[in-house]
Amino acid sequence: MSALGFVRKRDDKAAYLFLLPWFAGLVLITAGPVAASFVLGFTDYNLIQPPRFNGLENVTRMLGDDRLHHALGVTFTYVLISVPLQLAAALGLAMLLDRGMRGLAFYRSAFYLPSLLGSSVAIAVLWRQIFGAEGLFNQFLNLFGLTGRGWISDPDTALSTLIVLNVWTFGAPMVIFLAGLRQIPVMYYEAAQVDGAGKFTQFRRITLPLLSPIIFFNLVLQIIHAFQSFTQAFVVSGGTGGPSDSTMFYTLYLYQRGFHNFDMGYASALAWLLLIIIAAFTALNFWAAKKWVFYDD
Amino acid sequence: MNNGLSRRSLLSLGAGAVAASTLAACGGGGGDAGGEISKDAVKLRFTWWGSDARHKRTQQAIDLFTKKYPNITISGEFKEWNGYWDSLATTVAANDAPDIIQMDELYLASYAERGALLDLGTAAKHLKTDGIDPAALDTGKVDGKQYAVPTGVAAYSMVVNTTLLEQYKIPVPDDSTWTWDDLKRIGLEVSKASGGKVTGVQSWGFDAGGVNIWARQAGATLYDASGKVSIPPAVLAGYWQYLLDLAKQGIAPAPSVTVERAGASLDQSGTATNTSAFGTWWNTQLTSLSAASGQQLKLLKLPTNGQAAAAESPYYKPSMFWSISSRSKHPAEAALFVDFLLNTTEAGEVLLTDRGVPSNSTVRSAITGKLADTDKAAAEYLATLKVGAAPRVTPNGASGIEAILKRHTEEVLFERRTPQAAAESFIKELQTEIDAA
Repeated sequence: MSALGFVRKRDDKAAYLFLLPWFAGLVLITAGPVAASFVLGFTDYNLIQPPRFNGLENVTRMLGDDRLHHALGVTFTYVLISVPLQLAAALGLAMLLDRGMRGLAFYRSAFYLPSLLGSSVAIAVLWRQIFGAEGLFNQFLNLFGLTGRGWISDPDTALSTLIVLNVWTFGAPMVIFLAGLRQIPVMYYEAAQVDGAGKFTQFRRITLPLLSPIIFFNLVLQIIHAFQSFTQAFVVSGGTGGPSDSTMFYTLYLYQRGFHNFDMGYASALAWLLLIIIAAFTALNFWAAKKWVFYDD
Repeated sequence: MNNGLSRRSLLSLGAGAVAASTLAACGGGGGDAGGEISKDAVKLRFTWWGSDARHKRTQQAIDLFTKKYPNITISGEFKEWNGYWDSLATTVAANDAPDIIQMDELYLASYAERGALLDLGTAAKHLKTDGIDPAALDTGKVDGKQYAVPTGVAAYSMVVNTTLLEQYKIPVPDDSTWTWDDLKRIGLEVSKASGGKVTGVQSWGFDAGGVNIWARQAGATLYDASGKVSIPPAVLAGYWQYLLDLAKQGIAPAPSVTVERAGASLDQSGTATNTSAFGTWWNTQLTSLSAASGQQLKLLKLPTNGQAAAAESPYYKPSMFWSISSRSKHPAEAALFVDFLLNTTEAGEVLLTDRGVPSNSTVRSAITGKLADTDKAAAEYLATLKVGAAPRVTPNGASGIEAILKRHTEEVLFERRTPQAAAESFIKELQTEIDAA
């Protein structure tokens, strides 16, 4: 008994030792600032002078902040349009790749690539070039005798270019879908075929229900991800959220209040509001999941 | 028992806490600005914004300085104007501000009033300011303390591409008499003559200088002496109506092109790429613009509205400032470097008029003979300009004016707001920011 206890203790030590760097990172880099931002949310803090407590002033300010309401509108539009489109594209391609084509590994990697790059600065810069007034997209339109415009610098279309960018990063959910599709037993399809079910019926009656836990998983992740989008809008709009606030994502507004206006107390409060919004959306998702997600066990 | 481990982890946490508090201590104090120059190795960080031409010149000046003081190394961090202020705010907040900071009039009060800048009076031993015109020096004072020294002065101007005008056989207008209506008329001729490839005017509406001048021409000011926004809504509405007219009549590029260019660097502007014949700039930008354009550019006085107040509407803007972080560990060496940039002919001969016609009169006269044609033209422009009193320094809280201005200009150009509605909204928003600071 005591010998066993000794061994276990040794194991514990090693485990803790290996955990230590991660744990230190969590405390110092993540948890510390998170806790600090909660406290700062109740202060007026200009980054340089010490923060001053102001109670719930930041909360009341949110209620009357028109630009915040506008930023929320832009963010909701972005999330609610881009996530379903992105998941549809991911599922569509996953099903195409699932048909066992040659060079699958290559295509899988090729389609996955944008996911790795999508939120990078380089791609956002590239996007600016593609959708600029003299960009690649307009040159393409010119081939058909169409005249484009500065897609990114026109408030009517700027947000759409960011939605397209997000849809383009369908690789991560696609790979997960692909794994999910592989789990569905082929015999279900065979049985359905024998019963005379067409492709569409098979998709609706077999693929969708059996894949629903995966769809749910992707939906939750991508919604959270989309709410947190920052880099794309920041780079594409040059940090302004423009033209005329049309790409003013919530995170970008938060950043501007904090770092342009030296308004870190309010920005901290905004960060917590975003957390609450994302938590609410996730909770809503889990609640709705009971109605449509089908678990096979 | 796992006491050993927990003790060790406690220790490491403790070490972390000590490190954190040491960092905080550095943040609070900074070094002694009046102390002796160190004989040991000193590393300084120096940040500025600007074009390629400026980066090259500044690096040359740094090299001259480090040759003289081999124990001091200076690493330059240079950016475009648009990214500069984000980066500065972030580094200041992270307690990692560069030692020497190129500062602008828009942000001076914001940084100084929050204690981010060193009171240069404490560094007077190393940084001399007696060669600088007192009126210019005063522009770097906030609440009576010298937080920044102006590198030089600049004035708002209209840059015209005479190569283009010649090509379309349009005479260069007489800038002693021309009005905003003349600019419209000539601009339209250019747009028509080029078949749309070149627009007459590069739209503005994204920088505070243009609004200042417009207000002053109407006998008003952007801010009153107490720091309240004082431009009348009707005047501001007139400004946006003019810009809207330019865009609608094809005198300026389509709004989306204008917005795109406004967000890009100087080298990608309509003036630099020879795609607009007229553009508003600070006179000292002529050299950078000419280098990028490769064509003949000339400085003209701004058109006027014909009113009496317009005669004294131009003003000298301190083109930019040198300032030192209040948290610098080596303020004495930083001050020595600023002194070198500001007061030595050596540095002056390299920097020339890129940061404004030098504010130090000895340097100014020493370099006059060495100026390239564009620098000479910039200096001559200043000398011939009839200026009024300088506007009040941008109040604390209003440093975001250009972001607010840009957004409202965009809303006007894309016709989401009328000029009148934009004017009212702009004034209200700017005042709110000032009140909140």
